[in-house]
Amino acid sequence: MIEAEATAGMLVMTQSFKAHEPLAAETFAEPVEVELVRSVLEGHHERFTRLYQMYAPMVHGVLLARVPRGEVDDLVQDIFLHALRKLHTLRDAAAFGPWIAMIARNRAMDFYRSSRETVEVTEQMAIEKPPTGTATEILALIRRLPEAYRETLVLRFVEGMTGPEIAARTGLTPASVRVNLHRGVKMLRQKMGVMSEAGGAGQ
Amino acid sequence: MKDNYLWDRSGEPDPELQKLEDILGTLRYEPRPLQIPTDIRLGHRRSLFAPLAMAAAIGLFALILGLGLYFKRTTNAPNLEARQDSQAPQTTNQSQPEVASNNGSSQTAAVKTPPKNQKLDSPRNLVANNRRKPTRKEKSRPELTPQELAEKEQVLVALRLVSAKLNLAQRRTQGTSPLNTIRNQHKIG
Repeated sequence: MIEAEATAGMLVMTQSFKAHEPLAAETFAEPVEVELVRSVLEGHHERFTRLYQMYAPMVHGVLLARVPRGEVDDLVQDIFLHALRKLHTLRDAAAFGPWIAMIARNRAMDFYRSSRETVEVTEQMAIEKPPTGTATEILALIRRLPEAYRETLVLRFVEGMTGPEIAARTGLTPASVRVNLHRGVKMLRQKMGVMSEAGGAGQ
Repeated sequence: MKDNYLWDRSGEPDPELQKLEDILGTLRYEPRPLQIPTDIRLGHRRSLFAPLAMAAAIGLFALILGLGLYFKRTTNAPNLEARQDSQAPQTTNQSQPEVASNNGSSQTAAVKTPPKNQKLDSPRNLVANNRRKPTRKEKSRPELTPQELAEKEQVLVALRLVSAKLNLAQRRTQGTSPLNTIRNQHKIG
């Protein structure tokens, strides 16, 4: 009897968990992208602006997690123009989001490779300058998190995307996004707590 | 419930997360129009038609070249035969050209302009030569009579027997077990 109840309980839990998962796939796996990509390849370049509107916030978030804020807007434009030129190399039109996210990540890496004057950001520098709670300072803290959490947190808190949206746009699995969000928020809270304590001690 | 708010903003809101959203939301993407240059060059999908057409053209060219060379070779062969045959008297042939009979040098004229019907009737032209050429090794090897072959077989058997006995003796001297030690026993019999 107890076993039956436990099994029933587990089934309910599984169903409630699964009820969340397809949400991402059903809501955001848009055949619109496939159609848009196809029409752009057929020569309707103006249709690319629709893809730009759909994916620019995601690309902005991916870049903001990596490069200085002042460079992000220009890089977003560059990345979309590059994507337009190379759109014929995209094999699966439905994978436009993960494809352009990968371009953005690679471009962010190239940015640091090409820029000669770089300043290494160390933990000591963060301690020397305690956060006052402004956006740029919290963003600086997020940038010190592991890469997997950084991008997810920026997309969630800066760009205001939900977990399912992040999964659909970036091509990550919903489970990965969920884990990244939870662990990232936990680490961010720890870092913010340490910083505020350090700031309080300094004052 | 707070987990749900972090995941999809449903459920009970977490004040700390809301504060984070409010602060970091100021850095949010501000929509800007995409400026597509007018002279932008878009790539096109590579179709397989061009490489396949090129490969087919090359293949066809090679085939035509091969066939041409083959026919050229087969048509040249009767000429040689005609040249050899021209040494023999051919004055009886009706289709011999007038130049040859007038000059009296029938041999040279026959070589230059052999009659066409003779070319076509040549058996070398009609029968395909599909015989395998013997290798140098095969040429140098003399053909043995059945008696010689039998003798050769006897010698080989005797050699195998001697070899087996020597192996056996060697093993006995080394102290190993003599049981089932003869190799190739099936050959010795």
